[in-house]
Amino acid sequence: MKILVVDDSKAMRAIVKRALSGLDRVAGATIMEAVDGKEALGVVQAESPDLVLSDWNMPEMTGIELLQALNDAGITPVFGFVTSESTPEMHELAKTHGARFLVSKPFTPASLDDALAGAL
Amino acid sequence: MQTPTVELDRIISDIWAAMLGLTLEAHHDAPVFPTDMRVATGVVQITGDFEGAVTIQLSEQKATEVAALMFAMEPEEIGDEEVSDAVGELANMAGGNVKSTLAGSCQLSLPSVTSGRDYHVSVPGTVVRDRIGMTCQGQLVVISMLAREQR
Repeated sequence: MKILVVDDSKAMRAIVKRALSGLDRVAGATIMEAVDGKEALGVVQAESPDLVLSDWNMPEMTGIELLQALNDAGITPVFGFVTSESTPEMHELAKTHGARFLVSKPFTPASLDDALAGAL
Repeated sequence: MQTPTVELDRIISDIWAAMLGLTLEAHHDAPVFPTDMRVATGVVQITGDFEGAVTIQLSEQKATEVAALMFAMEPEEIGDEEVSDAVGELANMAGGNVKSTLAGSCQLSLPSVTSGRDYHVSVPGTVVRDRIGMTCQGQLVVISMLAREQR
């Protein structure tokens, strides 16, 4: 399994990667990183990850713009948001565009695992 | 729009617990840093139906310790870039959680971070509506909410 973690914060990418590394559900997965949606789009096209975990609010290309771009390109990895913003409108927008879940920061490994359980 | 009631102490305590595994305690004195202490400040602005900002402030020493926890590194390995990234993300999480409690349509800016001694942070057109001091292992952590002045 390949997992792409997208966040403009290096610290948050490290935290998400550390959380993933402790989950049996994704044991042995190759974890890649991207610093924004624009870089992530290139990584997805080159590496075809099975799962994309993306922040929402990022420079260059936001998470929802990334998801829209993937949809437009017909590329449909399992996609979930890990974001500090979590309004009902964002949940609805994410769901409308095909995101499988939205995990709110701050999160715990258990809450991330719960989200993945429903998507993988 | 009326400035909403936001539980800043709960928001910052939840972030500290989930992301850092640390407990914050109430700070009973004025939430003011000594003028000779280097302090890091993370700021995110909120625009839309509510206009204002959320700031997080902590000593550079504590910010370095916090960054070390976030990066799973030793404090000695942490540089300015890691401190800025970590404090910015703490502000981003705080601002995002504040935004999630607001009515209407709002947008969150990307975080900005500054650091130094004896300085004042202001966002033009806003006033401090709430300023909460907490302590983390004896060191002050301050979260503030600024809101645009009512006309």
